[in-house]
Parts: sequence; structure tokens; C-alpha cells
Amino acid sequence: MKMEEMSLSGLDNSKLEAIAQEIYTDLVEDSCLGFCFEVHRAVKCGYFFLDDTDPESMKDFEIVDQPGLDIFGQVFNQWKSKECVCPNCSRSIAASRFAPHLEKCLGMGRNSSRIANRRIANSNNMNKSESDQEDNDDINDNDWSYGSEKKAKKRKSDKNPNSPRRSKSLKHKNGELSNSDPFKYNSSSGISYEALGPEELRSLLTTQCGVISEHTKKMCTRSLRCPQHTDEQRRAVRVYFLGPSAILPEVESSLDNDSFDMTDSQSLISRLQWDGSSDLSPSDSGSSKTSENQGWGLGTNSSESRKTKKKKSHLSLVGTASSLGSNKKKKPKPPAPPTPSIYDDIN
Amino acid sequence: MNKDAQMRAAINQKLIETGERERLKELLRAKLIECGWKDQLKAHCKEVIKEKGLEHVTVDDLVAEITPKGRVDSSMNFNTCLDSCSYHYNQALVPDSVKKELLQRIRTFLAQHASL
Repeated sequence: MKMEEMSLSGLDNSKLEAIAQEIYTDLVEDSCLGFCFEVHRAVKCGYFFLDDTDPESMKDFEIVDQPGLDIFGQVFNQWKSKECVCPNCSRSIAASRFAPHLEKCLGMGRNSSRIANRRIANSNNMNKSESDQEDNDDINDNDWSYGSEKKAKKRKSDKNPNSPRRSKSLKHKNGELSNSDPFKYNSSSGISYEALGPEELRSLLTTQCGVISEHTKKMCTRSLRCPQHTDEQRRAVRVYFLGPSAILPEVESSLDNDSFDMTDSQSLISRLQWDGSSDLSPSDSGSSKTSENQGWGLGTNSSESRKTKKKKSHLSLVGTASSLGSNKKKKPKPPAPPTPSIYDDIN
Repeated sequence: MNKDAQMRAAINQKLIETGERERLKELLRAKLIECGWKDQLKAHCKEVIKEKGLEHVTVDDLVAEITPKGRVDSSMNFNTCLDSCSYHYNQALVPDSVKKELLQRIRTFLAQHASL
């Protein structure tokens, strides 16, 4: 071919465009032809209609396009308002609450066994503590101090500490129960210690802070972990009232090792106090939470306290230590006086 | 006209030699499948085959149906009919975007090989 003929630059754009179109058309037709051959082969080999569904199935699984239904024809949130009848207790339960209800009702499932274990532990403690007659008298005497705690324990026990919800309500209740004004120091809520007898004092000191305020000469009625007073102060108060053998009397726990040296307990306590005080925060205050934590820690002390959060384990350890101390202090039988009252209310 | 024909032949030759034609063909095939053109044609084919009966379908039937719709009878030479028909059913189905892209590539190729 001659050079001029071959040169494309001589052509104008329209011609170039026409050529481009032709090339394009050729390509498309090639594809068409190829497609036809494919189809023809499929027809002759017999697999052309293989991917078709029969019309009956097509009708069955047709896409639904009505308001209120999904494409499968199911009603949305049909099960929200439905009620099921529990086969165990024959009550009608809302569908969304049915599974947890069954778990409790049948007594199977992780949570139920935890609750059951706790109750057993608590009842064990209660059985031990109720045998101490003298301490029971004290409980009856101190209505003022245990009234609020009774309320606290009752409300506390309604919300299962093992259920996921517990953390929500705790803070709210703490604010209510520990003081009318949890964040302000209410000087009139102290106790005048001269009016109390020794037993009352002891029981008081096992549940409350008890630190004597300089201004009012009254004992603090906040919880044993109230942030306004240090553990040192509490210990000093107890030493002052109950003699040098007094230790931070916190609630009893069912421990494996009941026999304990004084020195051991003291060192333990001094070690734990340091741990405990580092844990203190304003949100921790509140007798209900504290005692409940102790109770809970006590109920499942050995096995679970290690596994739980740092705070709880500290509490249970502190409880452990002090209870050991109070072990020594009181009688050979483990429980301290306030213990029965707390567990009374829980169970 | 002869020049044009020669020109076209030369261009085609160039296309094939550089392998550009194959590439363009593959690109077009991929794009047509992607845009659903093949499925549309397949559905059309099914209708045709159901009309004609499964046993008696020939390639010519299909081509006649698919390429220029209804403008071909079996007596015509296949190639001539493709060349002469300006309207092609299948081409109408090809989306504009695919067409534009391919044309762009062809123009690029032509520009690159302006002096052969």
C-alpha cells in the first residue's frame, strides 16, 4: 500500500468517526454471533432450559410487596405483643421476656444456678448467725440503725446482683439510702455515742463508719467505706470504744480458713486497708451497696471473689480480713452481730 | 470508495496485528454481561425457541432473531445482511455507556496509529 493511502492523518474527523463506528459495530456483531452459537449449542445439547424454575414454585416464592409485610410475607414484630404460656407455671408471659422467665422458672441456666448458690451460701450464714441469741437482741434494739438498711437490703435483693441490670440501679439507690444528701455532709445525722450501750456500740461500729466528728461529737452514720473518713479514723474509733483488740468490723464471710492468728489478721488488714482505701471513690458510698457487696462477696467468697472485678474482690477481701478479726474478737462462732440482720433482709 | 475500503482493511489489519481487536472484544463481552445485555438476549431467545419448538431451532433462526430483528430471511447471505442492515435490535439494547467507552478506545487506537 502506498504511504498516502495508509495515512490516517489526512482524513477528517467525520471519516475517522465513521471508521470507529464501523469497528464498534463489527465488534458487537461478533459478540452477538458468539452468543447465538452458545445458545444454539445449549439448545441442542439440552441444557438451555435447565436453570428455569417451574411456574408453581415461582408462584409460591413470589416476592411480596404489600405494606406491613416483608418480602417473604411475614408480619414485622409479630412476636412483640404475643404472649406465651409457660409450661412450668402456666402463666402467660410476654414473648420477649419468655426466655429469661423460663430460665428462672425451670431453674436451669447460668444465672439461675448462680442465684441458687448465693441463696444457699446466704442461708448458711444466716443459720450460723441466728444461733447467737445475744446478738439477735441487739438487732431488735437498734431499729433506727437497721431500719434504713432493711429497706436497702430489701430493695437490693429485688434486683439480682447477678443480673446484668444491677449496676444501673445501684448508683441511684446509693444516693437515696446512705443519706438524704449524699453529697453534702449532714451533721445532724450523726449519733451521739454516749447514749449507746456497749453492745449497741459494737453492732453500730460493725455496720457504720462511726468516726466521731470534731464539731458535733457524734458518730458518722455513713457506710463503712464513707469517703469522708479514712480507715485509720475508723480503726481509731473502734480501738477507742472497744479496746485495742478491735479491728474494722465488717461483715462475716464463710471462709475456708477460720483459724487465724491475731498477727496474721492485723497484717492482712493493714495490707488490705491500703488496698481498700485506694479503691475508695464517692460513688462507692452508700451502706446498701457496701453491705450488699460484702454480702455478695461473702456468699460466693472463695471461688468468685477472685474472678470478679477488682473493686468487689477488694471489698470481699476487706470483709474477709475484718471478719476474721471479729472472729477473734467475739466468740469462736463466726458470725458478727450485724450479719444476721443483713442476711435476714436478703433472704 | 476504494480508498476507504482499503483504509478500513488496513486499519482492521492493524487492529488484529497489535491484538487490540481481541482486547476490545473481551472488554465488550465483559461489559455486556455486566450490564445484563446477555440476559436480556437470553430471555428473548427463550421466547423464540418456545415459539419455534425446541427440536427445530437452527443457528440461522437465532441469528435472524437476535441481530437484526425480523429483517432477515433465510435466503439472504448471512454476511451481507449484517453489513447492510443499519438497525440492529441487539445494538439498541447495548447501553450507551458501554458504547461510548468502546468508541473511545477505538478512537484512541486510531489516534495512536495515525501514521501506519
